[in-house]
Amino acid sequence: MKKWLVLILAALLLVTAVGCGGGGSNKTADKQESAGVEKLVEEYGFQWKDTAAPILNEKGAKELSFSIYSSKNASALDYNDMKIMQDLFASTNVFVSWENVSESVYSQQKNLIFGNADNRPDAIYHAGMGAGEIIKYAKRKVILPISDYLEYMPNFSKILEERPDIKNQLINVEDGKIYSLPRIEEMGLLQNPNILFLNKNWTKAAIDAGAVSGLTEADLKDGINLTCDQMQALLTYFRDNDMNGNGNASDERPLSFVYNNWQGNQCDLYGMFGLNDNLEHRIILDGKVTYTVQDERFKEATNFLAGWVKENLIDKVSFELSQDNFLANGKGLETYGAFYWWESETVVSNPENYIVCNPIVGPHGDQTLCISNNPEVGAGEVIIFADCPNVEVLLAYFDRYYDPLISAQINYGPIGIVYEEQLDEKGMLVQKPLPEGITADELRLQNAPLGIIYLSDYAWNNVVNMEPRAKLRLERLTAFATPFMPKGAQPCPNLQFTLDELNTLSNYETNLNDYIRTNLIRWLLNGGVSDAEWETFQKDLNGKCNIGGIQKVYQDAFDRYMSK
Amino acid sequence: MEKKQQVKRMALRDTTGDKIFYTINAIVLGILALIVLYPLYFIVIAAISDPDAVLAGDVVLYPVRITMEGFAKIMERKDVWLGYRNTIFYTVLTVILSIIVTVPAGWALSRKTLPGKKAFMIYFIIPMFFGGGLIPFYNVMSSLGLVNTIWAIVLPAILSVWNLFMTKTFFESSIPDTLIEAATIDGAGSFRIFGEVVLPLSKAIIAVMALYYAVGQWNSYFNAMIFLQNENLYPLQLVLKEILIASESTVGGSGETILQQYRLANQLKYVSVIVSSVPVLLLYPFVQKYFAQGVMIGSLKG
Amino acid sequence: MEANAKRLPLKRERAPKKKMTKEKRVRYFKDNSPYLLMILPAVLVVFLFNYLPIYGVLIAFQDFMPGDKILSDSTLWVGFQNFERFFSDPQFWPLMKNTFLICIIGFVIGFPLPIIVSLMLNAMKGKKTAKVLQTIFNGPHFISLVVLVGMLTLFFGRYGLVNNIAAHFGGERYSYFLESKAFRPMYILSSNWQDFGWSAIIYIAALSNVDPQQHEAAILDGATRFQRVMHVDLPAIMPMVSVMLIMSIGGLMGVGYEKALLMQTDGNLAVSELISTYVYKRGLTGVPDQAYATAIGLFNSIINVVLLIIANTTSKKFSENSLW
Repeated sequence: MKKWLVLILAALLLVTAVGCGGGGSNKTADKQESAGVEKLVEEYGFQWKDTAAPILNEKGAKELSFSIYSSKNASALDYNDMKIMQDLFASTNVFVSWENVSESVYSQQKNLIFGNADNRPDAIYHAGMGAGEIIKYAKRKVILPISDYLEYMPNFSKILEERPDIKNQLINVEDGKIYSLPRIEEMGLLQNPNILFLNKNWTKAAIDAGAVSGLTEADLKDGINLTCDQMQALLTYFRDNDMNGNGNASDERPLSFVYNNWQGNQCDLYGMFGLNDNLEHRIILDGKVTYTVQDERFKEATNFLAGWVKENLIDKVSFELSQDNFLANGKGLETYGAFYWWESETVVSNPENYIVCNPIVGPHGDQTLCISNNPEVGAGEVIIFADCPNVEVLLAYFDRYYDPLISAQINYGPIGIVYEEQLDEKGMLVQKPLPEGITADELRLQNAPLGIIYLSDYAWNNVVNMEPRAKLRLERLTAFATPFMPKGAQPCPNLQFTLDELNTLSNYETNLNDYIRTNLIRWLLNGGVSDAEWETFQKDLNGKCNIGGIQKVYQDAFDRYMSK
Repeated sequence: MEKKQQVKRMALRDTTGDKIFYTINAIVLGILALIVLYPLYFIVIAAISDPDAVLAGDVVLYPVRITMEGFAKIMERKDVWLGYRNTIFYTVLTVILSIIVTVPAGWALSRKTLPGKKAFMIYFIIPMFFGGGLIPFYNVMSSLGLVNTIWAIVLPAILSVWNLFMTKTFFESSIPDTLIEAATIDGAGSFRIFGEVVLPLSKAIIAVMALYYAVGQWNSYFNAMIFLQNENLYPLQLVLKEILIASESTVGGSGETILQQYRLANQLKYVSVIVSSVPVLLLYPFVQKYFAQGVMIGSLKG
Repeated sequence: MEANAKRLPLKRERAPKKKMTKEKRVRYFKDNSPYLLMILPAVLVVFLFNYLPIYGVLIAFQDFMPGDKILSDSTLWVGFQNFERFFSDPQFWPLMKNTFLICIIGFVIGFPLPIIVSLMLNAMKGKKTAKVLQTIFNGPHFISLVVLVGMLTLFFGRYGLVNNIAAHFGGERYSYFLESKAFRPMYILSSNWQDFGWSAIIYIAALSNVDPQQHEAAILDGATRFQRVMHVDLPAIMPMVSVMLIMSIGGLMGVGYEKALLMQTDGNLAVSELISTYVYKRGLTGVPDQAYATAIGLFNSIINVVLLIIANTTSKKFSENSLW
């Protein structure tokens, strides 16, 4: 009994000793009073029209402040310590205090932040707000209708004027207002996430062995044009022979990709039959929302590809492995004959041996490729809570981020650390030489918060150079992909839906996707699809999957988008 | 005396049936041990092998291209050591408090004369099934002023209904009523009986409870993630998780960096398991001591 | 049998019926108040952290976004709409079937396993070895989900260990991750593999309290080792087994989404889409719906309660052990 008493007493002591420190603390200081705009102008020198001058005066810098909650990349410094933030404070006199958490913590905290009505930050950066969330919160007047305050945001207003396409991706359909600030990075790289790379030496060996007709060594450079028969012959040759010289003729992987991955996926192969497929199987053709799976050619394509799978020309493991495995397998011993990926440098240890192919020419002469729906405009990047005081100042502050010169620094790093102080002869930012012991990306991630930016053609031509890797990809795409994109085909942009439409989508889309996916993979792995099965498939798509209803939702949204 | 010798002599001679039993028993357990051991062994060699080799499936029986980079990356970080310190503290605190709360309650529940026993059982069972969800839980914690304190992690963990019921069952089946009756007749009150009769006999269950609560708290991270804003209070698991997720973050990296990160992430997964579990695994043999066969009952009967 | 009778009460003693005089009742209360005191902290903890937040289940009947008040004039009540939506979903039955099968098969294999293993360990001749084995068997419990699935991929992937061995001996490679048939065995067996050692601990502890005199008596009666296991060891842990059985059945349908999601491929979607993964996915696209998820959680809970009541009643009828 005594022993236990002692233990209990000890525990109590511990408890009191520790428990006294650190009671629950409130997250942010009490919210400031909201001054009217006139008071802001008078007392704090609030101005917003001149985007090069400070927004507030000295007094404003001292007395006003905003608290912003943001997730951040783990390598990044605390945003309060980032030079770009300090530079922004110096040039605007707007004091912002950042509260950073990791991305995983944010995903859990998001609901709690909204749930904690009494103690919210002023704004959330890297908010990751979905369309449905925005509509619902807007309805409840929890988030600020930014479009009501556009007069305080000259840069952003200009963008909306010049780019109605961007504007239409942001407007909440229910009430015509804009509730979030977007991230716009237009590099022209996202639309075609795949490039086909071919092992040059292996192909040469195949040509020398007479395994493929119509090709000479002179053809072996970037932009090589292959018909599906030629490709098939090559893949067969790769499969049957010991191409990498290790004595084992069965460890070569003729054609690889990562099934249904956002990059390096199988969708380009459907281009052999004239289909611009993508992961959602949904694309805009001549203004009409079209599902590739409803096209007869899709059946043909599936059967053709199933044939390749059966012949082991497509490595079956492509259907089950993850990006990491795919990338890891390319290192070391050379096993890839051909593969699809964003670029070759990250996949194989000898990228100089791999040449870029044009899209493969199909049996009927079609030659096109995947057009993905990955948007370059990310809506929902920043939201502001409706009860934020002095919100005009905060918006004027955020507006500065949309100046291309600042955007470049937000996205890549500040002048002085990543960029030289001196602009080059074209007046563009020039990267500083890398300091010892750090890679370009580590430097970038450390010093660049990323987020709301506007980097478009104008920026790339006048303000900042694209990173070399991006430039290389753009060159490749311009030469070997863009020429093969049919005129009427375009990706499905970021559309805005009404609440009812969103409900329809949420009720049916998961099922539709599951249904298509289960069937597609079954066909590809098991020799293809019979006519009867295809009929049933189409029937089900229209019946229980309600593809018609879903398509109508997208079409209505798209028409709205185009009409403005 | 004679009986004992007789028993001893009989025990020395296993029948053939018994021999077969022991052999089969050992074989099956042996196979089971291999099935368990190999993947555990794999984790160890994967943690020190080149990540590409691991992902490519080259690592089978021995490490390939040994690299301690993963361990170095984790052990060099101050927040990992801080996490260790924090977790040890939280765990010890949780174990002490949970034993204080759970064991007496389990004893009380095991007594047939507990007033309202059935009601109490139902009271404890209901929360096993119905929960309000994260948001109300957070609001309650917030109202209690526990947000951003260590109590947010410790207090909710000090009673697990499963553990409570296990304790109750243990008491019901391992403490003979006759013993309690005898003590009552001798004039001992309920508290004294609990302290002087029951507790000494409960070493096994207290050990198990301590172990279960300790490991439960050691492995947990969710409450910490939700309620702790101060990174200095992070427990080990949360720190490791953050490191892992950080290395998988692909925002803004070029191909090389992403690749580097993937490689590191994959290795870190295995390293994390080792870093976080070895201390606790070493704890088990200490707990095992309390499972000694029949020591308590025998000694008391005499 | 004989030995058992000495240890368990001959009949269930119930607490004295309420038909007592007031004095007797007061006396009864006073005599047993220490027990009430002992149980008080536990009651308090459960009240604060489990009962207070329970009002959150009301979200299931509302149109709710975080930030809305759950109990106020402005809450938007929608009655059973969320439930109707779930029941009328064409995926409802497939999801129920997938979830149920995974749970029940997992239970049928996973429940007896720790019991058997604990009995076997207890019956081992080499006590030291048994202890070492126990420690080894604890290992899998500490492996995080991500690592577990990562290992499954490495062992059972198309170019994984198992397939490489098969190919070496001239067999065909089998895509474990792409075949529906392989999903459940992989999921269930890996879960069982992870838990059996840890779950066995409580049984081992219970076995450690078995009176060795009973074993001696059994030996005198000529029992083989195997018979001793069945007639001394097993009955000794029966109460624990019963309680664990009832509680496990009560938690049967509650399987989380992470593991299934990590193991999901297009190939096994038909069987790997569980209620939890489905809700999780829907929460990521379109309109995030706390209320919907809560409603489904509530539905799950009700099923579990029904199962629990059935299990408890059955246990009361067939044995002396039950939860209440």
